[in-house]
Amino acid sequence: MFSPILKNNKPTESFDMVEITQSFKIEVEAIDADHRRLVEIINEITDAIDDGRAEECVALVPNFVEFSQQHFEREEALLTKHAYPLAEKHRQHHVGLTDKMKTIQALSERAAHSQPAADALRKELVFILMDDVINEDLAFKSFLVKAEAEGGAG
Amino acid sequence: MQGLHMVGVRHAYGRTQVLNDISLTVPAGELVCLLGPSGCGKTTLLRIAAGMERLQGGSVTIDEQVVAAPNVQVPPEERQIGFMFQDYALFPHLSVFDNVAFGLFRLDQGAARTRAMEVLEQVGMTHHADKHPHLLSGGQQQRVALARALAPKPRLVLLDEPFAGLDTNMRARVRQQTLSVLKQTNVATLMVTHDPREAMFMADRIKVMGENGQILQSGRPEDIYYNPVEEYVARLFGPMNMIKGTVRNGALETSFGVLSVNGQDDGAAVRLLIRPEGINLSSNGDQPGDTPVEVISAHLLGDSSIVRIRIRDGINSGAEFQARIPGAFDLMGGGRTWARVDPAHVFPYPQEQ
Ligand SMILES: Nc1ncnc2c1ncn2[C@@H]1O[C@H](COP(=O)(O)OP(=O)(O)OP(=O)(O)O)[C@@H](O)[C@H]1O
Ligand SMILES: [Fe+2]
Ligand SMILES: [Fe+2]
Ligand SMILES: [Mg+2]
Repeated sequence: MFSPILKNNKPTESFDMVEITQSFKIEVEAIDADHRRLVEIINEITDAIDDGRAEECVALVPNFVEFSQQHFEREEALLTKHAYPLAEKHRQHHVGLTDKMKTIQALSERAAHSQPAADALRKELVFILMDDVINEDLAFKSFLVKAEAEGGAG
Repeated sequence: MQGLHMVGVRHAYGRTQVLNDISLTVPAGELVCLLGPSGCGKTTLLRIAAGMERLQGGSVTIDEQVVAAPNVQVPPEERQIGFMFQDYALFPHLSVFDNVAFGLFRLDQGAARTRAMEVLEQVGMTHHADKHPHLLSGGQQQRVALARALAPKPRLVLLDEPFAGLDTNMRARVRQQTLSVLKQTNVATLMVTHDPREAMFMADRIKVMGENGQILQSGRPEDIYYNPVEEYVARLFGPMNMIKGTVRNGALETSFGVLSVNGQDDGAAVRLLIRPEGINLSSNGDQPGDTPVEVISAHLLGDSSIVRIRIRDGINSGAEFQARIPGAFDLMGGGRTWARVDPAHVFPYPQEQ
């Protein structure tokens, strides 16, 4: 059989599905802590799928959706507080994720009975968090790190 | 995270800005398609990921190793990337086997041989191992190119219009094989195409690029097709029907009935785009929204037909539309025809001022 790509020579089983590694850090603790919590929720969901408890997705996915919403509000408040010039654009980006949140909720309801739905849910959660949520945040990283350093001292 | 991570990539050729803040994430095992018009910078982005183009702004990380950043530029050969580019042909003077073994210089001869045969097996080309590329069909050459790209166990695979030179049938077959080999390999893949249906078939996630060198929309193929955020994205999949009008009570009155235009304000001038596959034809006209039409012509495409129709009644009377229906349309029958719109294929956009 064909062997999977070596991942830093470590066995893949020891990895969580997702993690906030260096390239995904915003370097503002309040935001990174929220992002880590979102990762934890995703890993709870993927664990449930992998352990044959996919019926738990219906209860777990709303945690992701609700915590995302709270996180977006905290993040928007921080951007506004520091007068980030593109704060409104970023808020619009968060609003634009509403349909994707509906999609993962719909998938979570089918995950227990459908492996393709469970697979699609796992995939979409990772893309939403890493490609839509965090990657877009990296646009304000340098601005916010600087603003927090200046404002944080006073 | 394992995979490719590009953040805020910018690129200009001379004074022409080509890429404007492109960010994307390709987790290991997933395939992301960049879809966009000719000249929007797709190849440039792949060349930056590969290290063939020097990074001007942003960063590129592969399996958490920063390979390009303002003060970092890891050379292409050290990035552990497999390529299949249109202009990156097989070496004509080497056999299939030697083409595949070419990138395995780090292994001893025995291990290289084993590995080369292993990937050739995976793409179903072991029995052609001793042939030279010119004796192979285009599709077979592409499979060897894929084997060559995968042989050194890359961390990332970059595909630039990999099936462009193949005819329709061969293209469909090689596309399917390539996808299944990539999925077995569990490698992160970034692929470029300007064929939306190819992107839909291959991708876990599609990123649509616009002419301004920015990403217009990211999502599953279903999101791009059923939820296009901009008119440009909606139009990617082929010609569209259009109805213009003014919003009243959150909807637009048409010959097909009152169609909802959620998100558009009352009094706003809107364009409703309707996909040809969103217009259904029938010969009894007994469903709500059925409107009588005159059939102008029907064109059989094989598994479906394009039928040109003209509306007979109501506010859009006289307007022409294209319907795409499964199978053939019986134009000779001469019976009456009604058309109906499926709301899932209707997309409202504001009319430009
Ligand atoms: N080496 C170069 N020097 C100057 N301009 C270039 C160079 N390479 C590409 N360009 C220009 O940059 C723009 C983006 O080119 P690129 O090849 O990335 O587009 P693309 O999206 O891959 O297009 P296609 O779909 O036609 O392959 C184009 O306008 C092209 O003419
Ligand atoms: Fe965030
Ligand atoms: Fe955000
Ligand atoms: Mg190109």
